[in-house]
Amino acid sequence: MSHIHITVSDVSFGYEKGKKVLNHLSFEAGESESIGIIGSNGAGKSTLLKLMVGLHTDFSGSIRIEDMPVEKSMLTKIRERIGYVFQDADSQLFMTTVGEDVAFAPRSYGFSEEEVARRVEKALGAVGISHLKDKQIYRLSGGEKKLASIATILSMSPDILLLDEPSVTLDPKNRRNLIRILNEFSHLKLIATHDLDMVLDTCKRCILICGGEIIKDGRTEEILTDRKLLEENGLELPLRYQGDCKY
Amino acid sequence: MSKIDAALRELTLLEEGAEEEKYINKVHPLSKLLVTVLYILLVVSFDKYDLAGLLGMVLYPLILFIVFDISFAKCVRRTAVILPLLLFVGMWNPFFDRTPLLLWGTIPVSGGMLSFVTLLVKGIFTILAGYLLIATTSIGKLCAALRMLHVPQVLVTVILFIYRYISLLLKEADCMTRAYALRAPGQKGVHFKAWGSLAGRLLLRSMDRAGEVYESMCLRGFDGSRGRGAFFAGVNAGKFTGKDFLWLLLFGGGLTVLRIYPVFEMAGRFVIK
Repeated sequence: MSHIHITVSDVSFGYEKGKKVLNHLSFEAGESESIGIIGSNGAGKSTLLKLMVGLHTDFSGSIRIEDMPVEKSMLTKIRERIGYVFQDADSQLFMTTVGEDVAFAPRSYGFSEEEVARRVEKALGAVGISHLKDKQIYRLSGGEKKLASIATILSMSPDILLLDEPSVTLDPKNRRNLIRILNEFSHLKLIATHDLDMVLDTCKRCILICGGEIIKDGRTEEILTDRKLLEENGLELPLRYQGDCKY
Repeated sequence: MSKIDAALRELTLLEEGAEEEKYINKVHPLSKLLVTVLYILLVVSFDKYDLAGLLGMVLYPLILFIVFDISFAKCVRRTAVILPLLLFVGMWNPFFDRTPLLLWGTIPVSGGMLSFVTLLVKGIFTILAGYLLIATTSIGKLCAALRMLHVPQVLVTVILFIYRYISLLLKEADCMTRAYALRAPGQKGVHFKAWGSLAGRLLLRSMDRAGEVYESMCLRGFDGSRGRGAFFAGVNAGKFTGKDFLWLLLFGGGLTVLRIYPVFEMAGRFVIK
């Protein structure tokens, strides 16, 4: 079990001058926590995750991964410990076959070929796609690509998992499979998603963001059953709490 | 099925063909690559009027098509698209070079006409050779062979990336043209007024994609120098055996003989005697 944690202190960020996407965000994420980051489109969920892995470093405030500040000089060390799963699996998978892609990170970090092979087998086995090892990536279905992209991260044995809309493009069966995989990952994980039902199944804690600010940070059940709070911030109750609502 | 869809399907079929269990598919990619390069060099080295000598070079693709049961029809279908380009390049020769060089029966054949046909044949032969290589060798093995020849890593990486992302680019283009077609009923193709915006959008999407891919690489340990080896560490061309050397020797030698001796011309003379 890792003892790594994330501290976000007074973070503000904008892609354009004068337009803040994140506005004075502060929170802490402790070891082995599962945190759902929810919010309507454009709330800043994906941006927050990107800041944590240093894809943008020109933000104000500070983000620390354990004792390491997120700044250019520390990125290599930080990225060794954080696995980031992109929203679009096609952006994540850049090698020709699944096995090659999963092996990319361990090879980059200089592991021996025996260790690389072991990690690839383990990662593919964890997401249940060992049979796809030699398959060309452009021939995978959307769900297979998503599982493969998660395997590429698991092969790094990360201490923290950041997932951006992980259930997009998944059919119900693969979505259930993904929930199982996430629940089996015992380290700290942050999931930015619109799939509130998945948050209920995977996260005990939930952070609601709107307009780049944290509106509420608390227990998932508490936030996701508060219809008024969700509707005020552009969301709806999870499907399982909507009863027999008619569209 | 749209043209782009069909192109994607062809790409898949080509890759599947390269993974078949035929003998030629198992020959070391380096052998096949070297023979192909030699073949192309020899073909282009023929004089522009030496059609008789050049025709002897047909034996190499012919042997591969027949002995290894490679579909000639598929090859023609997949490579026919290049023919107009060849025709365009050579079609001016008959106008510039009108000197009669030989008689075909009683019809005089000008140097321009002869060089046009020679150019056409050269083009077709080189395309056939390239096709036969990629139809029997997967891209990974081909890149591994290129690395064995010490082709710069950056160049081979670019080839791998192009291959990986050409399907994505085609899909993006397909989505955009479909979206256009659905809002332009009864219109054939894309109106020229929309070409600019469609091409611009495709470029922007491609740039976004490239940015994300680069980010993905960086997040998994790539920093320009470190991680480069990871592109090729698992791309294995296999062991170069005696059989592969024999392939190289046999075809390399055979092609050199065909280049030196005009086989068809000699056979013709022998028959006439």
